[in-house]
Amino acid sequence: MKYAFWPGCVALGGTPELYQSTKLVLNKLGIEVEELTNATCTGAGVLQEKNRKLGDTLNVRTFAQAEEMGLPIMTICSTCQGTMAQAQLAVIKDDGYLADINADLADEGLEYHGDTVTKHFLWILVEEYGLENLKKHFVRDLSGLKFAPFYGCYLIRPSDALGFAEVPERETSLEQVIESTGAEVVDFKGSKACCGLPILFINQGNSLKMVATHTGTAKDLGADAMVTPCPLCHLNLDGYQGKAAKKNRSSAIDLPILHLPQMLGLAMGFTPKELGMNKHMVSTSRLSEQVASPAGV
Amino acid sequence: MPETETTVKTVTANLKVYRYDPEVGDAKPYYQDYEVEVEDWFTVLDALIKIREEIDGTLSLRCACRASICGSCAMKVNGEAKLVCKTKLDSVWSPGETVTVDPPGNMPVITDLVADFKPFWDKVRQVKPYMQPTGPVPTAEYLAPNEDMVHLAGVMNCIMCGACVSDCTVLEVDKSFIGPAALAKAYRFVADPRDGKKKERLGELNGDAGIWDCTRCMQCVEVCPKDVDPMERIMVMRDQAIEEGYTGTSGARHTESFVNSVRRSGRLNETRLAIESMGVMNIPGQISMAPVGIKALLKGKLPSPLDHKIPSKAAVKKIVEKSEETSK
Amino acid sequence: MYEHDVLIIGAGLAGLRAAVEAEKLGLKTAVLSKVHPVRSHSCAAQGGINAALGDRGDDWTDHAYDTVKGSDFLGDQDAIEIMAREAGDDLIELEHMGVVFSRQDDGRLEARAFGGQRVPRTFFIGAITGSAMLHVLYEQAIKHDVQIYEEWFVTKLIIEEGVCHGAVAFNMHTGEMETIRAKSVIMAAGGAGRVFEPSTNALICTGDGLALAWDAGASLMDMEMVQYHPTTLAGNGILLSEAARGEGAHLLNSEGDRFMERYAPEFMELASRDVVSRAEQTEINEGRSINGNVLLDLRHLGKTFIEERLGYLQEVAVEFRGIDLSEHPIEIRPGVHYIMGGIKTNVDGATVVPGLYAAGECANVSVHGGNRLGANSLLDTIVFGRRSAQAAAEYVKTAAPSVSTDEHLNAEKSRIQDLLDRPKGIRWAAVRNELAHSMTEGIGVYRDQASMEGADAKVDEMRAKYSQVSVENKGKVYNTDLIFTLELDYMINVAKTITQGALMRKESRGAHSRTDMPDRDDENWLKHTHVFKDDDGVRTETSDVTITQWQPVERVY
Repeated sequence: MKYAFWPGCVALGGTPELYQSTKLVLNKLGIEVEELTNATCTGAGVLQEKNRKLGDTLNVRTFAQAEEMGLPIMTICSTCQGTMAQAQLAVIKDDGYLADINADLADEGLEYHGDTVTKHFLWILVEEYGLENLKKHFVRDLSGLKFAPFYGCYLIRPSDALGFAEVPERETSLEQVIESTGAEVVDFKGSKACCGLPILFINQGNSLKMVATHTGTAKDLGADAMVTPCPLCHLNLDGYQGKAAKKNRSSAIDLPILHLPQMLGLAMGFTPKELGMNKHMVSTSRLSEQVASPAGV
Repeated sequence: MPETETTVKTVTANLKVYRYDPEVGDAKPYYQDYEVEVEDWFTVLDALIKIREEIDGTLSLRCACRASICGSCAMKVNGEAKLVCKTKLDSVWSPGETVTVDPPGNMPVITDLVADFKPFWDKVRQVKPYMQPTGPVPTAEYLAPNEDMVHLAGVMNCIMCGACVSDCTVLEVDKSFIGPAALAKAYRFVADPRDGKKKERLGELNGDAGIWDCTRCMQCVEVCPKDVDPMERIMVMRDQAIEEGYTGTSGARHTESFVNSVRRSGRLNETRLAIESMGVMNIPGQISMAPVGIKALLKGKLPSPLDHKIPSKAAVKKIVEKSEETSK
Repeated sequence: MYEHDVLIIGAGLAGLRAAVEAEKLGLKTAVLSKVHPVRSHSCAAQGGINAALGDRGDDWTDHAYDTVKGSDFLGDQDAIEIMAREAGDDLIELEHMGVVFSRQDDGRLEARAFGGQRVPRTFFIGAITGSAMLHVLYEQAIKHDVQIYEEWFVTKLIIEEGVCHGAVAFNMHTGEMETIRAKSVIMAAGGAGRVFEPSTNALICTGDGLALAWDAGASLMDMEMVQYHPTTLAGNGILLSEAARGEGAHLLNSEGDRFMERYAPEFMELASRDVVSRAEQTEINEGRSINGNVLLDLRHLGKTFIEERLGYLQEVAVEFRGIDLSEHPIEIRPGVHYIMGGIKTNVDGATVVPGLYAAGECANVSVHGGNRLGANSLLDTIVFGRRSAQAAAEYVKTAAPSVSTDEHLNAEKSRIQDLLDRPKGIRWAAVRNELAHSMTEGIGVYRDQASMEGADAKVDEMRAKYSQVSVENKGKVYNTDLIFTLELDYMINVAKTITQGALMRKESRGAHSRTDMPDRDDENWLKHTHVFKDDDGVRTETSDVTITQWQPVERVY
């Protein structure tokens, strides 16, 4: 299996542990990737707000690059996946629009024909790699641990851009992968809610309330960690959890936030340090101890 | 009953419906289970109507047209807001399962599935939802391009059902947010060539609890039964507010910083984004970010303040600049 | 106890237009509605609003004649002339208020073809014209700060010495009953489609306004004129707008024939609604149907066209039937849609009860006579909503306020309590279902003496059964069970006026098609039927139709 790899800006910036753990896990799974080093930021919805066509053009440019490589794209960020999927839907629906965009890409000698598939690593695991094959690489049983899933808005809405009608398994993909490690899924209302990052600099009060609500609820339901396939969610849920708890609760939350590949890496036997878990703002040392000691003890 | 009634094939459906009686002692909400015989073409509303007509006359809910045009029957089905008159029962339920029905969220409950829409309508009133033409009034109709009218018809598809407001993630934590329905309504006037108050409207929406408070979670887009796409309308108004000169919000600075970063290098410069969004001259704001910044630095994950430049950044710059030209 | 110059009951198009006018004229205005204004059934009108615009070569007298012919010469021509003449100004006023309409390339309003009209003069936006207009009128009500009793239910009009002085109503949120005193009342509470089954109408269209006015002494005129709309969705009766046919859709029978050729060779699918419904019913009765329905075919219009001009129809077809109109025809059949009959008013909305006015579907001026042309109802609501307010404004200048008393309130409180206190009996829904199915059977597209007598007897039976209906919900807060029981009472009264009107008219005219008297009888029956409430039940009368320019001729499409 080989993919054109789009890490996203944040995995190369504010969440280097995501990049680090992804590389380790992909290697172990035998998934080959070639990084799209000349691709742009997807726009994360912000660029699209300024000018939707600009966002679509830059994403189609990335698709064209992958098309040239003859590879499907793998993303590791919910926001990248969602933004790219929306761009894909817009040009598939409208030949005129695609032609317009291709005209702007002609300078670079790029042209998109509509053939590129973009999938989040989470979907690839469920749909292409297969959970049974995935489990073969697990050496550590995570049963006894409870993980709360947090998808990230862009990976679950709007459903018509994300192929849920064609592939209904995507709606529960994160729960399925969590369960494959032996861990228990903490079922809570916030798993499909918003982390608040987009309004962090605009209305910090509301942003922190969202963080406090979702991490707090998961913690109160007994979660040992939250698992998310989106580094932007991670920035808020991990980075601002302390401040969020202070402003909104009488008690601390202290819920470790794991990137999806970190959870997989733990099941595969990598150490927390190898997976960059020491780089989190919310300490993962207790979780590391729980993972190190056998389940149930 | 007329003797033409033939035996119709029915299946038993299980519904779990939110009940609340404010007149009872401690007045706590609870769920009531109902078993109702349904036919295969039934909508969720058909099932609820059958319950109230044949099983339990005390169940209160709002509905009128049954044809997804009056907007009365928005409620939560299995936790997600839907217009129940157009929600086929078999799209949310299979035999053996239970469908949960709740009143719309983010609003107080009057009784059972009837929510108090006063906060909803107050927000709508807030945006001055009526035409404010300026200039001389023509004797005949205002001339307007059909394209503009058809574009407005898309927003006017809004039947004010409240599904978007019910599920808005910002309203869940902050009831002062104007909300997707009122903002979509505001857009309808901002985008109408006959309205003369575009700048003033954008100026007001640019303030607290307005267009910049949307967290872009797309819940409103997902649950809207009429494809109004409230979030997209909010995004367009953000851009229009910046164009009208309202550049002094952290939201406007955030967007500009993002675009500039991509223009320069093709990638996002997160550290500059944080600093520029907060406002370079906003010393208290910058200081407030320091603790997280310092912690990140100590953990070795503070993103470099230098741009991550891609090889073809010149080509990308051209694309960005072209989009700015054409949008003028 | 509240005091107003005018109390407008009903917040649909007629009610809100009246309210905006009343505010402008400086009246102390209040609107009362059992639903939030934008939930009013006006929102379901789809196709458009008629107006003859002089500045583009149309002539209002042509529109008037089309309407007179459409009414099968039962419409009062003075009223029709007024409506047609004032339509242009009213339409432009609506556009100035902000209603979004489809435009021609030159930016001017665009008109589409519609049933029974010789030239296109129906102004529209997609297939959501009613909703577009209603929302704008509500916006205007917000702009003018109109007071609205939102989700209040009227149980009785206050009549003192034969003069109307307001209403007794209860707040649905609290159950508290109040007297709302007003110098004048404009009844604008809509139609009564739910008296039949199937119907395009919302569940709220239970004839409350008709029954309240009738109970107060007004006459219900031409109630036998019940419009069966030709294109209602088979199954649940949801409306598929005439606009589809206006934009070129065809009607087909089971043999794939455009059968309208045999019934209306010139106007084809755009003949008046009663003609089309009868054609369909005949095809169905004679076995050329599919599952008892005929087909509406839009395939040849193309997907893009359908989505832009008839988007709401596509939405209904996909959501409720899983059908893409650009690929499949859809099964439709006649269904009750509108009541041409209603509270008799003059051209200013005045009823025979001083202080009581009426406008909109509940009123009968008569502009629609025996059959309403499509897109004339939206026009009717605006023109006569406005005129009623203007008339009420004049009236209140000299109207004497009445003595305030709790007599009416106490009587109503007592009556409602008695209803709530009834021992466990039968459910209101069972009686409603039986009533509605009987009415459709007896007062159908085609009817005869036996069927009408059967329906009339059934109504009496339902009236008797009503005394055994009990209310399960004894609470005060949003008690819909009580409301439906009160609405059923209204429906039974309205049904009685329909069967009585039908039995009176010894001819076929417009929507009243008697297989035992198939011809129109202008010599004896160029008259309106009136049904009044009487101590013993009902009192019937007739009155002449007002003719100005056009003598009745044979009606051919």
